[in-house]
Amino acid sequence: MSEEILLDVQNVSQTLGTNNVLKNLSFQVVNRVRPGVETGQIIGLLGPSGVGKTRLLRIIAGLDAPDTGRVVGPGGQPLPAGSVGVVFQNYPLLRHHTVQANLEVAGRANGASRAEARERATTLLKRFRLDGRASYYPAQLSGGQRQRVAIAQQLVKQKTFMLLDEPFSGLDPAALEDVSMLLREVAHMDDLNTLVIVTHDVRAALLCADTLLLLGRDQGPDGAVVPGARIVETVDLVRLGLAWRPPTELTRDPAFLDLEARLEARFRGL
Amino acid sequence: MKADMLKRALLPNRAIDSPTAMVLVAIWAAVGLLVWVTSPFETLPGPVEVWTAFGDQWWRGGMGPELFTTLKLIGTSLALTITISLLLSYATVIAALRPVVAAVSKLRFLGLTGLVPLFILTFGGGTELKVALLTFGMTVFFVTAMAQIVIEIPQSEFDHMRVLGASELRILWEVVIRGTLDKALDVLRQNLAIGWAMITMVEGISRAEGGLGAMLLNQNKYFKLPEVYAILGVILVVGLALDYAMGAVSRVLCPHAHLERVRR
Repeated sequence: MSEEILLDVQNVSQTLGTNNVLKNLSFQVVNRVRPGVETGQIIGLLGPSGVGKTRLLRIIAGLDAPDTGRVVGPGGQPLPAGSVGVVFQNYPLLRHHTVQANLEVAGRANGASRAEARERATTLLKRFRLDGRASYYPAQLSGGQRQRVAIAQQLVKQKTFMLLDEPFSGLDPAALEDVSMLLREVAHMDDLNTLVIVTHDVRAALLCADTLLLLGRDQGPDGAVVPGARIVETVDLVRLGLAWRPPTELTRDPAFLDLEARLEARFRGL
Repeated sequence: MKADMLKRALLPNRAIDSPTAMVLVAIWAAVGLLVWVTSPFETLPGPVEVWTAFGDQWWRGGMGPELFTTLKLIGTSLALTITISLLLSYATVIAALRPVVAAVSKLRFLGLTGLVPLFILTFGGGTELKVALLTFGMTVFFVTAMAQIVIEIPQSEFDHMRVLGASELRILWEVVIRGTLDKALDVLRQNLAIGWAMITMVEGISRAEGGLGAMLLNQNKYFKLPEVYAILGVILVVGLALDYAMGAVSRVLCPHAHLERVRR
């Protein structure tokens, strides 16, 4: 039986002015199944700065249209803006609303009644240990709290697909493990939940993803970079036995360390 | 502790606490009063003369009703300014209306004096003329500042609402209207000050209905300096009170904005 396709990026190209940013970029996200265990999907989209990761994120999110190619969800349905959750790098929130109201606005925007939106918001704030901050304004939150509120705000929508832009940026090693655990928790809340984490942090991506996609540009015979990024490598961490394991255990596994070293070396050449 | 704070007040880029700020205000007020009392200029009457003139004006010169007339005028003009300016500013989200908003904004270079004959022909005289002049004077500046605020809303705020699945109307409400309310109140506060500063000129155009401006010009005519300074003092104090009231409204309606402000 073939695996269910949750996201299908087909031959996507985008040019900005005369700059070819993405070139015939294709990949698929399939539904991971673990018998007896609720398992979502976490895809790490790795690439160096300026390679076009955020451009690709905006296309998948439905904010920008590709010049050629298309992005479809389950059953080949297109993904308009709003059908995919996006947590942007600076964790934007509505600054004039409290934390609770920020979540309620997201619920209301997606058709929930006032009472439903309040109930969903309250449940998520408890789950994210933010119930004590419900009446705070975004300006009163720490960076970590703001990140959790931004993720919770996307979850209120009750959509299964979420993109996260550089969620590990500026985190110390302890906070990095916390965030990777949080993302795993979010992904595994539902079998169809799918997180695409856009990052340039190889270790962070390895710690929480089940699939890694390496976004990069080719080099010509003279060593010059050929414009237009594409997926240059896909790593199935489930098949390698490096997925769904606690970070403390993974970081002591020689296979993990070898893969990390290889990817970082490859990363530098992209 | 207090000495430490006062020392901090003399250094650049230092925050000070509220009691220290109050002490500094008191010190500067005392310095101002001392300069006033010891002033050698005959054109500046002493505090006692001005205070006596104020008493006369208030109890026998009808200053209370004149102040009410002026407040009614500024209140009516402000309500009209807010309505017109906010509608025009929020209209900048519709590309087809941007040239109209830009044109209204450019009218600020015309100046009121040259427009008075045109306004007299259009509105006749009396209250309508004064309200129209004040509303025009405040609207062109309000629209300029407010339209700029709307234009400068970062794209990321619109994107954020779009990925939340919000409709364009909800985005207009949350991002453009609610999201800029604190800034709109700040601009309104500045425009209230502009309007208040124009009040003497506007009330001087049609003195029959009175008002502080008409009263001031009448006293100026007879060179009654203590009375002139007493009226100016009232204009200043009432202007500051209105400004403080606007600040209080902003703190109540937009508490988030005050959390984001860091005093240095």
